[in-house]
Amino acid sequence: MYRSQRLALRYFTAAIVLFGVMTAAGLLSATYYIQPSLLYNVFDFHMAKIVHINTLVIWLLMGFIGAVYWFLPQELEREVVGIRLAEILFYVFCAAVAVVAAVFLFVQYGGSNQFSMWFINQGRKYVEAPRWAAAGIVVVVLTFVFNVVATAVRARRMTGILWVLMLDLVPLSVLYLDAFPQITNMSHDLYWWWWLVHMWVEATWEVLIGCLMAWSLMELLGTSRRIVETWLYIEVMLVLGTGILGLGHHYFWIGTPQYWLSIGGFFSALEPLPLLGMVVHAVYDAGTHHMHTTNRPAFYWVLAEAFGNFIGAGVFGFMMTLPQINLFSHGTQWTVSHGHFAFWGAYGCGVIAIIYLVLQRTREAQVLESHAWKWSFGLLNLGLIGMVGGLLVAGIAQAIYERAEGGSTLQAFVVASESSWFHSGMYARLAFGVVFALGYLTLVYDLLTIGRRVPIVATTQVASA
Amino acid sequence: MDIQDPKFWRAGAISSTVVMLIVLAFLTIDSLEAIRAGGRQVPNYDVINQRIGYAYDWSRRLDVPVIGPTEPLFGKSYSLAEATAQIRLGKLVIQSRACMDCHTFFGNGAYYGPDLTKAWLDPAWSQIWMPMTGARTRADAMVLFLMHPERYPTWTRRMPNLGLSEDEARSLVAYLKWMSAVDANGFPENFGLIHSRD
Amino acid sequence: MTPVALFTTAIALGLIVLSGGAYGVLYGAGSLRSSRRLLRAGYVCYAGQLLLVLAVCVAAPLAIVWKSFLVLSGIAYGFIPPITWRLLQALHHSNEPQP
Repeated sequence: MYRSQRLALRYFTAAIVLFGVMTAAGLLSATYYIQPSLLYNVFDFHMAKIVHINTLVIWLLMGFIGAVYWFLPQELEREVVGIRLAEILFYVFCAAVAVVAAVFLFVQYGGSNQFSMWFINQGRKYVEAPRWAAAGIVVVVLTFVFNVVATAVRARRMTGILWVLMLDLVPLSVLYLDAFPQITNMSHDLYWWWWLVHMWVEATWEVLIGCLMAWSLMELLGTSRRIVETWLYIEVMLVLGTGILGLGHHYFWIGTPQYWLSIGGFFSALEPLPLLGMVVHAVYDAGTHHMHTTNRPAFYWVLAEAFGNFIGAGVFGFMMTLPQINLFSHGTQWTVSHGHFAFWGAYGCGVIAIIYLVLQRTREAQVLESHAWKWSFGLLNLGLIGMVGGLLVAGIAQAIYERAEGGSTLQAFVVASESSWFHSGMYARLAFGVVFALGYLTLVYDLLTIGRRVPIVATTQVASA
Repeated sequence: MDIQDPKFWRAGAISSTVVMLIVLAFLTIDSLEAIRAGGRQVPNYDVINQRIGYAYDWSRRLDVPVIGPTEPLFGKSYSLAEATAQIRLGKLVIQSRACMDCHTFFGNGAYYGPDLTKAWLDPAWSQIWMPMTGARTRADAMVLFLMHPERYPTWTRRMPNLGLSEDEARSLVAYLKWMSAVDANGFPENFGLIHSRD
Repeated sequence: MTPVALFTTAIALGLIVLSGGAYGVLYGAGSLRSSRRLLRAGYVCYAGQLLLVLAVCVAAPLAIVWKSFLVLSGIAYGFIPPITWRLLQALHHSNEPQP
């Protein structure tokens, strides 16, 4: 195993641990809706949410970084350049995350000054981490980019997938610079903030997961490089072709010009089309292999990725993307339902699939199989769908009672939040959140144990190369 | 044009990305001009000296802010520099206390607390908090609430005490007043069906 | 827009994409297994999608531009599964070693 691949395993471990922290913080956040007096003035909703969404971003990023460190040496048939530095920075990264989390837990917020921005809490969604930590992330990411580029240069090799990845890492890194400024004008702040958030999760991250899925399909199904590269280019063309101006769907209501309603609505409404193509592709791959593979967990998680992405991002997104609808759904639990489903489908499932793929190699299992993976797959996806369903019901209640009927005042907000539909949605979300958490625990058990014992070989066949 | 050739699709990926980025660049230049303080969608910070309203514009078919006559904030008329300093502090307060992780601003943020885009215009200030706090003006009621939200709850979901000084609370109020004057293309629609009288 | 129109339009839009997805899946499955039944089920889903588009055009309070866009999208959805399928087949077959 290359050193880089050993580092990948460490990144995956950290990612799964943070996935657990995210889940716990999510359960806590959900509980406030049911029991509002919980930890009042001790640890309030906003801090629980900060922990929840920051660990979301970090666990996925760690999953991506780990995946690249795994595939890169295989792709270039050599050890990664600068691996020692990357190994050190991994521990620095983990330590920084721990310090930031401790500050969020015990200090929470500071005064209205630059000290708070640098050392305590920046208070901008997803990028609340203080500037010193953001600077640390920049160092880690730049080192990561250096690792990728320098290894390709030293190997004097380039592949299509690697080109796409390297070109993608440039905007991905540069966009993170929006984690630093403190802009007075909220419209201006949100304008650039959406470049970071949208161009990460609806553009550069999509391309990144596309590259990772390309490598994964080559290993999982033995698909040829030419095919996965062709498909990757098609994906990039369609996803960026719709997603770049689809950024406009965040510019409906922040004070930007009215033409964004048309432009953003139009391109955003096109975004599900490439996702439909991915679903058809998934059916093709599944079918031509007759659902047989030596690594069923990875295979099923890849399918979950395609379908989850389509439904979570495509279906749920399309429901609320036209500005005529969005005027009422904006800033409600409807958005939350879409966000949870989209993040899970587009990225969560993909990272888990890659981890299973890697485990087959590290545990040298000819066939990777267990009972627990099916339970965790079922519980996690059922839990997620249940949560999203509850949030959708609550969100639609808010859109109707608070926005359409109530005029969005505090009174309207309270009326909507007290409606039986909203309450039911919140209870359902918490209940299914518990199901999701059980799925997470089962996942951890399975990741620790799968492939370590004699695999179950009864019904699976070896996939054709 | 061989659709089986990866280079064909690679060219497609590069060209579609480049074209979209160029269009985005042009739109960004125009949007940044429109949203700067004093631009066509966003008023300058000394709008806090004016009365802010919200009314339906039939030509655009959506609700728009209405900037009215002079209405001093905290009994004072702020120069542009003073108003800018207040708003700047207000935004630092919003960030340092992570308001966006309970509330939404232009609908962006978290959904545990209400949206604050038009909070300055909310009837609850004059109808609930002015009597509750004993304050003579909406702005004063807001300051008292923000400094001690635990004293003036109106619901089971309560805002925590975030250790705001009076200056910080005033700057927040100024921020909310300025924000309510931003043209957000009609969001939120039909705000405040009950008219408040201050 | 009335609250009822908001609700029904949003649900219809979601179902439009969902039925498009169902069509894609069934078309794929039907092509794989050469099953006319599955293909027909796929076409039924597509027909459902077009009916939903029609319903939105008739009943939803959207401007004509948006309705036209939905109609064009609906037509595009019809082509995506077969074109994607043919492209995938062409890619995989051209990759097979020639005798």
